[in-house]
Amino acid sequence: MLGLKIAAVFMMSASIGILYRIPRRLLFYDGLVGVITWLVMYTTTQAGGNIILADFLGSIALGVVAEALARFLKKPATIFIIPGFIPLVPGGEAFATIRFMVEGHYTDGVSMGMKTILIGGAIAFGIFVSSTVYRLVINYSMENNKENAGKS
Amino acid sequence: MVIPLEQIAKIAGLAGEIMLKNGAETYRVEETMEHIAKACGAVKVESFVIPTGVFLTVHDSSERMLTSMWRVRARTINLDRVSKVNELSRRLADKRITFNDAYDILHHIDLERTGFSLVPSMLASGVIGGTTAVLQNAGAFEILGAFGAALTVRYIAHVVSRRHGVQITYEFIGGMAAALIGVLLAVLYPETNRDAIIIGGIMPLVPGVAITNAIRDVMVGDLLSGLSRGMEAALTAMAVTMGVVIGLAVHLL
Repeated sequence: MLGLKIAAVFMMSASIGILYRIPRRLLFYDGLVGVITWLVMYTTTQAGGNIILADFLGSIALGVVAEALARFLKKPATIFIIPGFIPLVPGGEAFATIRFMVEGHYTDGVSMGMKTILIGGAIAFGIFVSSTVYRLVINYSMENNKENAGKS
Repeated sequence: MVIPLEQIAKIAGLAGEIMLKNGAETYRVEETMEHIAKACGAVKVESFVIPTGVFLTVHDSSERMLTSMWRVRARTINLDRVSKVNELSRRLADKRITFNDAYDILHHIDLERTGFSLVPSMLASGVIGGTTAVLQNAGAFEILGAFGAALTVRYIAHVVSRRHGVQITYEFIGGMAAALIGVLLAVLYPETNRDAIIIGGIMPLVPGVAITNAIRDVMVGDLLSGLSRGMEAALTAMAVTMGVVIGLAVHLL
């Protein structure tokens, strides 16, 4: 079951790459980034972690891996970030929110909607924090070599 | 060889326009335009980019200056072009390519058909839907249903954006179509897990580029662009949600 899910995440991330017209030879890396991100998230939830914490850790891993790959392959980091975070998107929670609202269970809908928004915020801030810190570290270690600072 | 200011503005502006049109972050567009203009001999470069336009001022060594502006109306997502222009600006900055060659290549990048045509992107969209259903622990029938729903959504997006060009429309119609497919299958085969099909169907509509660019724009301090891209993402999410709401409401009839 886990193997099937990993294969699904790999295919999902690579397909997002096709949908957003990412250079063909980078599709494999996209799938890889997606699998790493999702595995971090999955392991955290399996270890009993909150889903919000799990998504936050997953997207921190995503930011670091994407920035490292961007530097290594000399490509924009967005190419790796976009396919990477799609498997984390709380589609199930978002849909549950809609379903509660349509069925008239507004209280359940609002609490589920809050959960969805918090998960989304955790993903956004995970990417934000890890990319920023990664840049700080890289720029700090490259301070003598100012030519390369801040590029990626 | 001294390149006239008009030529510098032309090549840098074209590069910026291509990148912005195809979904690059604001700061990347600004930096690329500055690198290209400096590589062509401009002394001082100022650029200002918002999601709907590019402004550029170049100064040369004899203190002349030129300001120009490009309005960007139609925006698509083609990260292949962004990465190609990015690469070109690196090569130009390292003097591995001449001005004229660079201009020709830029024109080529702007006009060429890159990436994948309709059928592969429909299949990719279907795979996104199907794999989302797998992650929702759905059965084989639901996975197939989600594959079909996501494929249909992508086709609708293609048709609507050809005819109309407004993004929110196809997201609303796509969300509604995904929900209606889920509802239809659940009515025909009552033991179907309707929810997994709909979740899979709307997954390709997640505004990945808008969200990522909003985060990265805010990260480097481009608050104006970050805000408007965040707004774009929120509007998209709202449109999909309303589409699904209306589709689901049909099921309650």
